[in-house]
Amino acid sequence: MAIEKVYIANNTSVIQDEVLAHRLGLLPIKADPRLFDYKSEEENANEKNTIVFKIDVVCTRKGERVLNSSVTSDQMKWLPEGSEMPFNTMTKFTSFGSSQKNLPGLPAEGISCQYPDIIVAKLRPGQAIELEGHAIKGSGNIHAKWSPVATARYRMLPEVNLMEDIQGKLAEELVQKCPTGVFDIEDVGTVKKAIVARPRNCTLCRECVRGTDWDKRVQLTRVKDHFIFTIESTGALRPEVLFTEAIKILNEKCHRIITELS
Amino acid sequence: MKVMNAATFTVEREDHTVGNVIRMQLHRDPSVLFAGYRLPHPLQYRLVVKIQTTSQSSPMQAYNLAITDLIKELDHLKAVFEHETSQKQADYY
Repeated sequence: MAIEKVYIANNTSVIQDEVLAHRLGLLPIKADPRLFDYKSEEENANEKNTIVFKIDVVCTRKGERVLNSSVTSDQMKWLPEGSEMPFNTMTKFTSFGSSQKNLPGLPAEGISCQYPDIIVAKLRPGQAIELEGHAIKGSGNIHAKWSPVATARYRMLPEVNLMEDIQGKLAEELVQKCPTGVFDIEDVGTVKKAIVARPRNCTLCRECVRGTDWDKRVQLTRVKDHFIFTIESTGALRPEVLFTEAIKILNEKCHRIITELS
Repeated sequence: MKVMNAATFTVEREDHTVGNVIRMQLHRDPSVLFAGYRLPHPLQYRLVVKIQTTSQSSPMQAYNLAITDLIKELDHLKAVFEHETSQKQADYY
């Protein structure tokens, strides 16, 4: 869910209308997109496919102080009853049948921006911004604002092998060298031996094979079939939900291909 | 082309996302001699999969088998993942 249409009633700030609309579109909205339907261009905006937000900020001077000099994302208010624009007519831009407050699955505090401290615009005394933003459901391949994933990356598990027994001073030196703490000292009787304790922390920086003779003692490779995926979410959905949704999409594609055949 | 047991499948509205996965699954089938995919043009959203099998099975069969195996594998992956995550304590945010 991201803001797609912005209806600007008043914008006397230095930020141009289109730049402001672009910034509003990129704000992450804390709403589960699975609760809403897609909206096509011809459809009416109703409570199942649109979320309406409004910003109404005036920058004033109160003696020495300036109030509202920056418009932050927590000043974007959710309108669960629908659009209030256009102001003079009875028919508004959206036709909500019922209030969105009672939609099941919504967080208790209502729908808002995911992070409250994002600066949208900056104002000086006398400038005002009054607008309404309509958010709809979309797919990340059309515009990145709809993508629920911040970054997703994978790497293969590193494999660290000690070719020979490393003992005593050499073992301590090895433990010191590694910046992520892959190695540990194990006391076997009276002898200190080095062991590979946490290969998952290894970033393959190759510090342990720098120096004379070290590359004969430590061998760094990757396990070919063990992947470590890291998924960061923008906040609307949890990362494990993102993973299951991705699998569902792949599943749907396979189903669609096989039904096309028959 | 008079080659025995070979077929090309054109899939509209698909790209490398499924093409690569299907190709890898076909490679794992011992009765498949040749399996490859290509996107004829990057601006056109379609996929062409070329399969040649031994006389044991037909390309159609190999294709169907590959896709049903993929669906099973994805379901298994989802089940295992959900089982594992429900076991870990979730205290984010």
